[in-house]
Amino acid sequence: MSSFLFRKRASSSRCWGVLCRNPKAESQFGNLNKPPKPQNVTCAVEIPRILDPGSSSFSPKTSKTLSGSLQNIKNLIASGESFGLSSNLGVPVVKSLCGFHGGIATCSLVRFYGAQAAQEPSTADGLTVDRILNSEWSIMAEDESDWKSHAAAIAQSVHLIKKRLQWKKLLVRLDMLSVELNKPDLWNDPVHAGKISREHGSLMGKMKEVKAFEQELLEHVDMIKLAREENDAELESESMKALLEMRRTSKEKETQALLAGEQDPCSCYIEVQSGAGGTESNDWAAMVMQMYKMWAQRHGYKMTVVDEMPGEIAGIKRATIKVDGEYAFGYAKAEVGVHRLVRISPFDSNKRRHTSFAAVAVTPILGDVSAHVQINESDLRIERFRSGGSGGQHANTTDSAVRIVHIPTGITATCQNERSQHQNKASAMAVIQARVDQLEMARQTQKNAQYSQSLTDITWGSQIRSYVLQPYRMVKDLRTNYEVSDPDSVLEGDLDGFILSYLSASLDKDEDDR
Amino acid sequence: MKLSLTPKLSTFLKPSLASTPLRRSLCSSSPSPPPPPISLKPQTPLFLRPPIHSATSSDLQQWQDWAKTLASSVGSTFANSDNGPDSTLLLRELNWLVDDAVQQGIENGQRKIRLRVSLEELYLLWKQRIEERKPFQYIVGCEHWRELVLCVQEGVLIPRPETELIVDLVGDVVKGEEGLREGLWADLGTGSGAIAIGIARVLGTGGGRVIATDLSPTAISVAGFNVERYGLQDVVELRKGSWFDPLKDVEGKLAGFVSNPPYIPSDNISGLQAEVGRHEPRVALDGGVDGMDDLLHLCKGAASILKPGGFFAFETNGEKQCKYLVEYMENEARGSFCNLSIIPDFAGIHRFVTGFHK
Repeated sequence: MSSFLFRKRASSSRCWGVLCRNPKAESQFGNLNKPPKPQNVTCAVEIPRILDPGSSSFSPKTSKTLSGSLQNIKNLIASGESFGLSSNLGVPVVKSLCGFHGGIATCSLVRFYGAQAAQEPSTADGLTVDRILNSEWSIMAEDESDWKSHAAAIAQSVHLIKKRLQWKKLLVRLDMLSVELNKPDLWNDPVHAGKISREHGSLMGKMKEVKAFEQELLEHVDMIKLAREENDAELESESMKALLEMRRTSKEKETQALLAGEQDPCSCYIEVQSGAGGTESNDWAAMVMQMYKMWAQRHGYKMTVVDEMPGEIAGIKRATIKVDGEYAFGYAKAEVGVHRLVRISPFDSNKRRHTSFAAVAVTPILGDVSAHVQINESDLRIERFRSGGSGGQHANTTDSAVRIVHIPTGITATCQNERSQHQNKASAMAVIQARVDQLEMARQTQKNAQYSQSLTDITWGSQIRSYVLQPYRMVKDLRTNYEVSDPDSVLEGDLDGFILSYLSASLDKDEDDR
Repeated sequence: MKLSLTPKLSTFLKPSLASTPLRRSLCSSSPSPPPPPISLKPQTPLFLRPPIHSATSSDLQQWQDWAKTLASSVGSTFANSDNGPDSTLLLRELNWLVDDAVQQGIENGQRKIRLRVSLEELYLLWKQRIEERKPFQYIVGCEHWRELVLCVQEGVLIPRPETELIVDLVGDVVKGEEGLREGLWADLGTGSGAIAIGIARVLGTGGGRVIATDLSPTAISVAGFNVERYGLQDVVELRKGSWFDPLKDVEGKLAGFVSNPPYIPSDNISGLQAEVGRHEPRVALDGGVDGMDDLLHLCKGAASILKPGGFFAFETNGEKQCKYLVEYMENEARGSFCNLSIIPDFAGIHRFVTGFHK
C-alpha cells in the first residue's frame, strides 16, 4: 500500500517532504470526498499557475518551501480575492498538492469541492478534522500513546476553538471586510479604513492560526500512518510526540479562544462597592476585593490599589484595584455583577443569618492611546479629598488623595494610594479616562451591534453569584449554574472555574442566538 | 546675560554655616572668612541606602505587628487634638516605610529579607513617628512630590502637596511663551529645592535656568543634593542668602520668580499640628504678626527684579492674604503689574497670587 505515497526524507534537516498521492490511487480514495458540486473550471485553470513555484521546487528539498507555498495558497484562498472566489469556496490544499507527482502537475487531479468540504484540508486518505471528530474515537489520558486518542482530543479542541471564535460568523465578517477593503473610496475616511483593516488583519490572523493548526494535525496523522506502513519506528515516535505536544498546546489555545474580544487582552480596573447594610456589607465587600487580589496574584498579574474607602467599623465601602497583565480584562469581565453572601454575621451579637451584597465593575484600560476619548480639562472638577483645616504650611500630611469628577458624564474617580498629590491626580485621571472610554465603547456597541461580542452589562449588572457559608456551604454562579462546595477556596481567589464556565457559556449563548 | 552656573554650585554644596542662624546676619553675600569645618553633607534618605542589614521574616513580622498595634492605638486622638494623622493614615505610612526600608527577594530559592536600616532602628523610627510625632517624611528622609522623590531632613520644610500647583502655574505660563520659557527664573526660599527642580523640568531643554535661594545652609545642601539627583546642576543654581539679597546681579532680568515664603501668623505657631510645630523649621513657617512680613517684602521687590512681561506666583495662607496682596499690588505698586489673579488649591482655599510685570 505504500506505493500510493511518495515521500522524501530530507536527510540532514530531519524534515519531511509532503506526501504525494499516486494518480492510480486517486480513484480509490477520491470517492471518499466525492465533490458534491461540479468542478469550478476557472479555478482549475488558475490553480496550477499559482502552484507553479511550489511544484517546481517540489522534487523535495525541504518541507519548508512546500509549507511556504501552502501558506501562500491558503492566504490566497482565505482572502478569496485572487481567485475571484468567495472565501467559502476553497480547495482542499493537501489534496491538490498531491496532484503533482514528481513535479508534474496533473490538472485533472486538482479537485474542488463545494461549500461543504471547501475549507477542510484532509490527509492523504481523506481524513478531515471533522471526520476525526465524528469518528468518536475514545480520548484516553495523555500518557496513553495512541494517535487516535490524541487526534480526537485535538480535533475536539479545534471544534471548541472554532465555536468560541464564532467561526461561521467570523468567515462571513471576513468576507464583508474584504469587500469593504476593496472599495476604492475606502481611504477617504482614514480612521474608518484603519479600523476596517485592523479588524480584517486580526480576524485573518485568527482564521489562519486555526487553519494552520488543523493542517498540522493532519500532517502528523499522515506521518504516523506512513510510518506504520513502512515500519519506521523512529518516525512514528517522533510524530506521536508531535501529536502529544499539539494536544497540550490545544488546551491553551482553547482558553485563548475564549478571550477573543477586542479589549480582552487589556489590563483593567476592578471596582467593588458594598451594598446597603452597613458593617456586614462592608466586610463582604472587603472579602470580595481580597478574593480578586488573590486571584490576580495567582495569575501573576501586577495588582495595585488605586482607591480604598474603609467602612466605619470594618471592611470597605468601596475600593478600586488596577490589574496589570495580559488578558486581565478578558477574564475579569466575567465577574461584573452583584455578588451575594449568606452567613451568620460575626457583627451580629444575636448570631443571626444575614444576606449582604457587593457590586463589582470591571473597566478595560485601552492600550491604544489613539483610541482614547479626548477629555477636556474644563470638563473636570478636581478636589482635594478629605481635606480640612487651613492646609498649606499649617498641615503636615501624607494624605494627598484627589477626587476628579468628569462633569458631562458624572463619572468620579478617587485615588489616595500614591505618595504625591500629583500622582494621585494622574492615577485618578487614568481611571476617569478608562471609564469614559468604556462608556463611549458601550455607546458605539449599541450603535453598531453587528459583530462586536455582546458586551455584558458594563455597569453594575444584576446578581451573578451566591456565596453561602451557613447553613450549608456552597458557591453557585446563577448564570451558568456552575457550583463549588468549598467557599473558602473561591474566596481565596480560585475563580477560574467560574470565569471559564461563564465565558464558554456566554459564547455558546451567542451561538444559539444566531 | 549668561550665567556661569556649574563652578558656583560646588562652593554652595559646602556652604558656610554661620553660628547665628538669623536671617539678617546672613543677608550679605560678602565673601566671608573660610567656614568652620562642619559637615553639611545631607542625610541619605532611607530608600537610597544600601540594603546591608538582614532580618528573619518572623522578626520583621514581629516589628510590623508591633508597629501596627502602635498605629492603631492612636485612633483619632491626634486628629481630634491638632488635626494630626489618624490610624488609617499611619497604617498607610507604615506600608510606605516598609516599601522604603525593606527589600524582599528570592535568593537561592529562599525568601530573603534585606533592610536598609537595622531592625533596632526601625523600632526607634516608628517610636519617633508615633510618640514624638516626627513627620513621616523626616523618618524616611524623603517626600514624594509631583513625580519627584525629594530628599528632606530636619531643618528643611517638607514641601506641601498644595505647592505642586505652583509648578503647574509656571507650566501654563511658559507654554508657547518662548521668552519666558528660555528665560531666567528664581525660586526664593527654596527649602528642599522642590519648586526650583519642578520648574527646571517644566522649562525643559530650551535654555531656561533657575536660581534657587535660601537662607539656611541645611536647605542649600539638601537642595543641592536633590538638584544633583535629578541631573539639573547645569540648570539650577543655588545661592545662599535672604530673599532678593543674592540676586543683585540679575535685577530686572528675571522672566519669572516664585516663592512659598513663611506665611503663618506668629500667634498660630504654638497651636500648629505637632508634626509641624515641633519638628519643622520655624524660620520657614513664621511670617510675622499677620503672616505677611515676607510676602510683602517679596511684593515690594517684584517690580524691580522682574523684566517687563515677567511672571510671579506666591503661595499664601488663604483668602485674606491673597486679597490683601492683590489690593496692595494694585494700589501701592500702581501700574507695575497686570493680570493679577487669585488661584485656589484643590481644597478650594484661595492659595496663590499670580501676576505679570507690565
